[in-house]
Amino acid sequence: MTSPAQRPPLFRSGDRMIAGVCSGLAAHLGWPVKYLRIGMVLASFAGGAGLMFYAWLWVLVPTADEGARRAARRPASPIAPAVSSPLPTPNGPAPAGAPPSARPAVPWFSGRRFQYGKELLLGAGLIFVAGILIARQLGVDVPLGTLIPAAAILGGAAIAWMQLDETRRAGLVDKTKADQAGGWVRLAAGLALVVAGVLVMVSGSGSWEQTWLALLASVAVLGGVVLVLLPWGLKFWRDLETERSGRVRETERAEIAAHLHDSVLQTLALIQRRAGSEQDVVRLARAQERELRGWLYRDQAADSGQLADRIKAVAAEVEDTQGHVVDVVSVGDTVMGERHEALVQAAREAMLNAARHGGGTVSVYLETSDTGSEIFVKDRGAGFDLEAVPKDRLGVRESIIGRMKRHGGTAAISSGPSGTEVRLSLPAAGPDERNGEGRP
Amino acid sequence: MNDAGAAGGGGSQRRVRVVVVDDHAIFRSGLKADLDSRIDIVGEAGSVDEALRVIAEQRPEVVLLDVHLPGGLGGGGREVIAGSAPLLGSTRFLALSVSDAAEDVVAVIRAGARGYVTKTISGPEISDAVVRVADGDAVFSPRLAGFVLDAFGTSPAEIADDELDRLSARELEVMRLIARGYSYKEVAKELFISIKTVETHVSAVLRKLQLSSRHELTKWAAERRLL
Repeated sequence: MTSPAQRPPLFRSGDRMIAGVCSGLAAHLGWPVKYLRIGMVLASFAGGAGLMFYAWLWVLVPTADEGARRAARRPASPIAPAVSSPLPTPNGPAPAGAPPSARPAVPWFSGRRFQYGKELLLGAGLIFVAGILIARQLGVDVPLGTLIPAAAILGGAAIAWMQLDETRRAGLVDKTKADQAGGWVRLAAGLALVVAGVLVMVSGSGSWEQTWLALLASVAVLGGVVLVLLPWGLKFWRDLETERSGRVRETERAEIAAHLHDSVLQTLALIQRRAGSEQDVVRLARAQERELRGWLYRDQAADSGQLADRIKAVAAEVEDTQGHVVDVVSVGDTVMGERHEALVQAAREAMLNAARHGGGTVSVYLETSDTGSEIFVKDRGAGFDLEAVPKDRLGVRESIIGRMKRHGGTAAISSGPSGTEVRLSLPAAGPDERNGEGRP
Repeated sequence: MNDAGAAGGGGSQRRVRVVVVDDHAIFRSGLKADLDSRIDIVGEAGSVDEALRVIAEQRPEVVLLDVHLPGGLGGGGREVIAGSAPLLGSTRFLALSVSDAAEDVVAVIRAGARGYVTKTISGPEISDAVVRVADGDAVFSPRLAGFVLDAFGTSPAEIADDELDRLSARELEVMRLIARGYSYKEVAKELFISIKTVETHVSAVLRKLQLSSRHELTKWAAERRLL
């Protein structure tokens, strides 16, 4: 016989005489269909066992299509896909629409053990019942009066607990709670079974009248208990809720505290130690301010692909390395293009120069409109004479003026005793010159 | 307006009576130490209600007003200006903020503040700004100029109809230069006009910012997060 691992799943086959039960079973067991059919017919004469078995399989075993649909419908848990995957196979889950024969083999022990737990339990229970019936037939005295209520209690508890498990699982899988009504029905059924079982067991008699009365009384008692306990339960529930929301707040607080500790407190400590150096203090304070702003407003400057954000990021970098405040004001914005990168690099060079040689606050103004982008970098230093810059100094000549020219833009530098201003202009498309904001 | 010509630098003979409104005592004392001899601090307040009381009592020329304030109905600096509306003729408000959020800034300006500066501004600068506001002029920081340009658009007005909703070519030039970090004096020099003319333009822009019914302005400010 083939090992269970290689066995194809049990489906009703499309190649059928009546309902495809036999051929499906044959495919599943790997036996010839003919023998199975004959066996089924023969078994039908043994008290109709074959017929029963056939009908049972007909009802319970899905056709191949149904099976595939059911497998596809089973929701996968977003949290732990490996756990809730309907077919945990080493080769990955089969595509939902695939024919059953194409499904990869399922290892019996790892994958199927838990899926069949319920069926195994049911089978054991049925065998147990059959054993009792047979024992009775053979004349052994079985205390049915205790066994039946006990079974009822066990079954009811099982149903109720299954419900508990189910809701927890449903909560994990999705929160729609679509079949909550079903859950309540199951819970009620389980409860009723347990109560009935306990009553019959306690009263010790099978008398219906007595049981009925007792049932009424117990329901009344239960109702009273619920009435008394309900406010308690509600209060408890509410306390739980407040506690939970409090915990959420606590977590938030802890996160903020952790962040403040990592950033602000550290910076304050650094500032105290460097109190002598004004430049260091300013740099630290500015960097911390920027970081805190970014954190508070979730203003992620990096990688947004917008020109203004890039300029701000570059300004922040210059501020950090040079220790001078770089203020950026931007009007309008555009998506970064290849030519804009050149503009950013030229602006960065201008900011570096301004911070290095100018001193004081560096003002950066970026204006973007349909006609193009302009950047103004202004400092309040002593100023310098462009002609006097040695030819071998590449900074201004190459990185600013040359770079802008190469990308179809312009750069102008005006310097005076009250400061230096670098003006960079990049037309939106084509090298046509704007004549709006040239030298006055 | 007795020494309007010295608006850029001095006016040392007159003292401006100022109330400082900020909820951080440390910041208030730091600011007091920073302001120079032209400024006479006559009162302090740390909340909306306190501010309304102190302003009504002292009737200062200028109120240095933090945009974010506790108390009152939660409206912050805007609420203080609105509550002091009867005094707006004699008392002028200069908004002061660490928040660069356009919605905050535009809100206090539209409520009636004569200017807006960031808290990182230096002592002499803020003293100049106070004197300027006391003289009836508007004070625009580069950032506020940037907001104005962003809100009104950077193309000049052509039709007289939307005079309130657009800036004239000259106003645009002034705003641009301020946004670029120019002082009023530098703007005047750059445009070959007098400082007085620059101040006139800035006041005109402030008026437009306060009066424009341009519905996009509020929407724009609300949409705009931190700058």
